[in-house]
Amino acid sequence: MFQQALALTTRDVALARRQGGGLGAAFGFILSVMVLIPLAIGPDQILLSKLAPGLMWLALLLSVLLTADRMFQQDFEDGSLDVMAMAKLPLEIVTLAKVLAHWFTVSLPLAIITPPLGLLMSIDVGQLPILLVSMVIGSLALSLLAAVGGAVTAGLRRGGLLVSLLVLPLYIPVLIFGVAASSANLSPSSSTPALTVLCAITLMSLVISPWACAAALKAYLR
Amino acid sequence: MDFSAAHVSYVIASYAISGICVIGLFLYVLLRDRALATKLKHIVEKDKR
Amino acid sequence: MQQFANPARFLKIANVTLPYIWAITAILFAIGLYGALVITPPDYQQGETVRIMYVHVPAAWLGLFVYCLMGFFSAVAFVYRHPLADAAAKTAAPLGAVFCFLALVTGSFWGKPMWGTWWAWGDARLTSMFILLLFYLGYMAVWSSIDEPTRAAAIARIVALVGVLNVFVVKFSVNWWNSLHQGPSVIKMGGPAIDKSMLWALLTMAVAYTMLFLALHLVSMRSEIAARKLRQARLVEIGNR
Repeated sequence: MFQQALALTTRDVALARRQGGGLGAAFGFILSVMVLIPLAIGPDQILLSKLAPGLMWLALLLSVLLTADRMFQQDFEDGSLDVMAMAKLPLEIVTLAKVLAHWFTVSLPLAIITPPLGLLMSIDVGQLPILLVSMVIGSLALSLLAAVGGAVTAGLRRGGLLVSLLVLPLYIPVLIFGVAASSANLSPSSSTPALTVLCAITLMSLVISPWACAAALKAYLR
Repeated sequence: MDFSAAHVSYVIASYAISGICVIGLFLYVLLRDRALATKLKHIVEKDKR
Repeated sequence: MQQFANPARFLKIANVTLPYIWAITAILFAIGLYGALVITPPDYQQGETVRIMYVHVPAAWLGLFVYCLMGFFSAVAFVYRHPLADAAAKTAAPLGAVFCFLALVTGSFWGKPMWGTWWAWGDARLTSMFILLLFYLGYMAVWSSIDEPTRAAAIARIVALVGVLNVFVVKFSVNWWNSLHQGPSVIKMGGPAIDKSMLWALLTMAVAYTMLFLALHLVSMRSEIAARKLRQARLVEIGNR
């Protein structure tokens, strides 16, 4: 079972790499947001560094959201999902494998790239490690929750707007605790509570998301 | 109720908007039910004929 | 045929009980409004503004209660696959959304004279209520964007169940977030217990709102069943052609 799931993940990763995936576009999105924010707010260094963690989280969250509606759509349209559903592997594991592939190819790279971009907003260098840690943990939750939106709209032609309406409320806890963890004062101990809750939220979505995705996909495949 | 008290317009506004929304909802639900019921009746009568 | 047996029984019960429910609702509203606007005294601190409470609290209560009810019906539909439970959850959503919206609007009308601002992000309840409204909208959007009813029902169930789980997490996070950014001049409402001279009117209004919801929900479920029959009849008609 583990091998089959691994094969699925590698397949999705390979597909994303060959096709270019959503990573390039998502990265471009984050980059342009990072340039636009100072232009919108003004060049005030103190104000920018104060706002930076929240805005960077927002940029990460929205760029992951942009890739959500394509997560299952392609496999649903060309019929690969039917084949996957007929295999012995439970659909929950299939979705989990696909989510992991999405995390590896989209969310995780974005979570690693985003913190250094904070330097554009005059963020303190000492804040980078905690920002990185919280974004890496949170990005898994972002992928898992995006999958719920992607699965719910897998069979819809124009699911994009619906995905954001459904997924954004799910992102609120991740946003709150992610920002709290990364904007806590520079001492590492002050961000521990928020980071712990962020881990808890990630683990909780790890349990709920595959179940919800599988149930939604079953409704489309029937 | 004392209509000359301070901030009384906020009270009136709350009751007005609650009233409008509730009555609007009431009318919407009832009229929709009526419309669907008559349509269904037509079809049932057509089937009998 | 089993699918039709239960809606038929439901329709019979609904049609018999609805006149009584409407009557009780009207009487309760008459008593409650008279109590809220005439009998109850103005608050010694808030003055006449306290009368907003009698429309705000029942709306907020229904906004929450209807959402829980929707989750309950969705869970029942998920386990037993009963179409009536799906119809109950579907028709509850727009009603709950309206009450949720009313709670927000009256809340901000109450907040303006009391807190000095239309919207206090420092109040966790207001923020959670707003997110609840977003959930209602998302749930309704799912129903309206999927054409095929059984498929829409199956998807909507999942959305409702995930939404209910998320409401608890959101509530917890917003509370926590609040304790982090405690606003300087936010007046805590509902700190002291409500006096008995006001409580009876508030309870009457709450029950009146609940009865109103019950009546509207029964009627909308009746129309939902009619709409479903109509759809089937049209399909048959097209098939016969």
